[in-house]
Amino acid sequence: MSVAPNSPGLTTIMDRRGFLKVGALAGGGLLISAYFPLGSSLAEAQTAPAAGAAPDFAPNVFIRIAPDGAVSLIAPNSEMGQGAKTALPMIIAEELDVDWKQVTVHQGDLNPAYGRQSAVGSGSTTGNYAALRQAGATARAMLVAAAAQTWGVPAAECSTAAGAVLHAVSSRRLTYGELTATAATLPVPTGVPLKDPKDFKLIGTRVPGVDNEKIVTGQPLYGIDQRLPGMLYAAYVKCPVFGGKPVSANLDEVKKLPGVRDAFVLENINGLVPGVAIVADSTWNAFSAVGKLKVQWDEGPGVSQNSEDMAKQAAALAQAAAVAPPAAPVKAVEAVYHYPFLAHATLEPQNCTAVFKDGVMEMWCPTQVPSAGQGLVTRGLGLAAGNVKVHVTRVGGGFGRRGSNEFSLEVAAIAQKLEGTPVKLTWMREHDFGHDNYRSNGWHFFNGGVDAAGKVVALQDYFVKMLGGPGDMNGGGFPFNAVPGSSVQSGKLPGPIPTGYWRAPGDNGNTWAVQCFVDELAHAAGRDPLDFTLDLLAALPGAAARGGPAPAAAAGGGRRGGGGRGGGFAAAKMVAVLKLATDQAGWGRKLPRGQGQGLAVCNANGAYVAVVADVTVSPQGVLKITKLTAAVDAGLIMNLSSAESQVQGAMLDGIGAAWFLKITIEKGAAAQVNFDDYPLMRLEHSPPVVDVHFLPSVSPPTGLGEPGLPPAAPAVCNAIFAATGIRIRTLPFSGQDLKWS
Amino acid sequence: MSNFTLNVNGTSSTVDVTDDTPLLWVLRDTLGLVGTKYGCGIGECGACTVHLDGVAAKSCGVTVKDATAAKITTIEGLAPGGKLTVLQQAWCHLDVPQCGYCQSGQIMCATALLAKKPKPTDEEIDYALSANICRCATYTRIRAAIHAAATVA
Ligand code: FES
Ligand code: FES
Repeated sequence: MSVAPNSPGLTTIMDRRGFLKVGALAGGGLLISAYFPLGSSLAEAQTAPAAGAAPDFAPNVFIRIAPDGAVSLIAPNSEMGQGAKTALPMIIAEELDVDWKQVTVHQGDLNPAYGRQSAVGSGSTTGNYAALRQAGATARAMLVAAAAQTWGVPAAECSTAAGAVLHAVSSRRLTYGELTATAATLPVPTGVPLKDPKDFKLIGTRVPGVDNEKIVTGQPLYGIDQRLPGMLYAAYVKCPVFGGKPVSANLDEVKKLPGVRDAFVLENINGLVPGVAIVADSTWNAFSAVGKLKVQWDEGPGVSQNSEDMAKQAAALAQAAAVAPPAAPVKAVEAVYHYPFLAHATLEPQNCTAVFKDGVMEMWCPTQVPSAGQGLVTRGLGLAAGNVKVHVTRVGGGFGRRGSNEFSLEVAAIAQKLEGTPVKLTWMREHDFGHDNYRSNGWHFFNGGVDAAGKVVALQDYFVKMLGGPGDMNGGGFPFNAVPGSSVQSGKLPGPIPTGYWRAPGDNGNTWAVQCFVDELAHAAGRDPLDFTLDLLAALPGAAARGGPAPAAAAGGGRRGGGGRGGGFAAAKMVAVLKLATDQAGWGRKLPRGQGQGLAVCNANGAYVAVVADVTVSPQGVLKITKLTAAVDAGLIMNLSSAESQVQGAMLDGIGAAWFLKITIEKGAAAQVNFDDYPLMRLEHSPPVVDVHFLPSVSPPTGLGEPGLPPAAPAVCNAIFAATGIRIRTLPFSGQDLKWS
Repeated sequence: MSNFTLNVNGTSSTVDVTDDTPLLWVLRDTLGLVGTKYGCGIGECGACTVHLDGVAAKSCGVTVKDATAAKITTIEGLAPGGKLTVLQQAWCHLDVPQCGYCQSGQIMCATALLAKKPKPTDEEIDYALSANICRCATYTRIRAAIHAAATVA
């Protein structure tokens, strides 16, 4: 059963009255030359109470209720588009039993009291769900106790709804606002019972993002929007070759350029990539000066690195490691799959603002992991523990990029030199492309085969990637776990190219290669790819529930890293999403040449996602993706609107990257430095229909920001094969001729 | 450095900046109108889109001098008096933004499109917004919101 129709709210939006009501909430005035310190906490959000007024009720760090009934909630994790700033407070509000309209959400600054503030690994919801429920339920219990005490009735006779306590027997009602004074005097209970998820009223509904009105009116939200009185603007230039460092620079000339206030080399700072800082009175004057900066670099040994050579090294590693397949298959299939480096290319370039005063570094950071930036700055600059204060701003795209916080250390090092003067560092787009922690390139050398009955009897993968960084694979994941005698081995390429977490690390490339190769095996066996995959799954324990509802609370978490899912794998869940996606997509229809459907499936971050892609390819080779259909088991859905949007965006992200994107390393540096040579997917490539169906579930929520990505590109590539007979084994495929006749 | 007088969102302001400063940075750094975003600086991403005399233009490619001749509208000026336009309402209601960073550029382009073509087709939308990247790929909802606004308006 599907619970999520496509095109959210299209029916409601036709209701003119409901629709126009949204606007009445909004403000969007003209703001000129004002300063907007971003980031806040509940303490700062609290306005001083009028003399004699009742106190606020703040039973824990997440909740503050004012006597007028206004509810302030903290979103502990960074918002980078994944919806945490809305979904996490929704969890509190659900257990607290308040009307969402009463709620104002504040982004939490870095504060150990908030618990897990790391927005990586699709873990914001999974990591905070239990604690936030408990926070809300505890506050609710205290408000109930306050009302019971006021009325002199047993708490058990009281209920709550929409921010008020009710005593049905006597038809009495007190709002939470009316109860703040009494509740604030009560002890904080522990182990308060939680709601039965079946009774959730807010969780699982469509709630628009809490910052939407600020976004559509252009109000300051992001790190790059930070402005402070007397602030200067910085650029920071590092050696284009990874591992290089500055030897000398024309700093005296640069200092004389218009608007430039200072220029200096930063080096020998623990954790900092050395470079040249330019500080000016505007971003433009800093960027302009970068154009006039001449640096003599010591490029180091990294200059010998090239993408082309890496391909040769990968092939040599695979050849050296080659082993004979375990059984002689009736039909052998060999294939090499390759994907390139990718940049994160967050649309908001890396940036950070800092001011250093009296030994304290105060910072405004667009980061996924604020504590990591704090640690980097504390250690790098040798500051006293506790002297780095981090405000968290909205983040203009994460995708794993802002788990590393080198921009924090860079701006802090600059701010330390300019003691007392606030400074905002903005990376030029060219620097953002040139100094990323790239998704590692990778090669899969597959060796497989099927027997006369169409059963897989051999499956070997030799996998090569860069040394270090995420994305390693073992043989425990699907489909390797379903083929006796299968093997996964890997080789590593050394080198100073920095690689790191990129949305759905490991899975983003490995799932593409593996799911395309499974499709190759299915075709070699003369089988329908869906039946073929279901048969593989049927061999696994727990698949017996095939076709039935997904078992509750199985598989808490798939381990990260591509295929290495071990004991957490729930075959029945994979079967269920495959069935739902293919049912919804009308899988198995006979299609004319030039049209095709492709299928792929994955489990990532504890979620299970199957995608069917419908494509057309003209005889001239022009590809159009006409429809994407996803089926998702992500446990309980928090916010249906952002859940759907995440899966839609993740699918398109995966497809756009596979279609168009690559970073090539030439002479130890990234060859692509801006969007003209890194052509992100645009509206015209986006399919007209992108359907997302969620399996109903009351299991705890899994991650959802990433799992939609891995199966999308292989579904498209498999659909292209179905339409044309052309197999895509190298990404990006925009260069591949898809002509057919 | 020279003085330039700009008409932004109906207000006239005189700024003292380097002559080659793009309008983008005058808006953001000098006037504090940070709703207009920097994404690429080379006219490839559309995050910096504003209206010059009602026509969508990338402010990273317009010098402050050239901007003095036009009536400039930024995202902050779309909803004078705090009343959201129908398009902005559709954007909120359909929950288009993910990270939201591209959205001011998308909305400025879409607003200019609807002024010319009140009921655009998918193709017309794709064409009008072809210069605007959404890294979060909110494209499905961008189209839906423009159609929704076109239906209500
Ligand atoms: S910043 Fe102007 S188009 Fe990208
Ligand atoms: S919403 Fe993130 S770039 Fe568009």
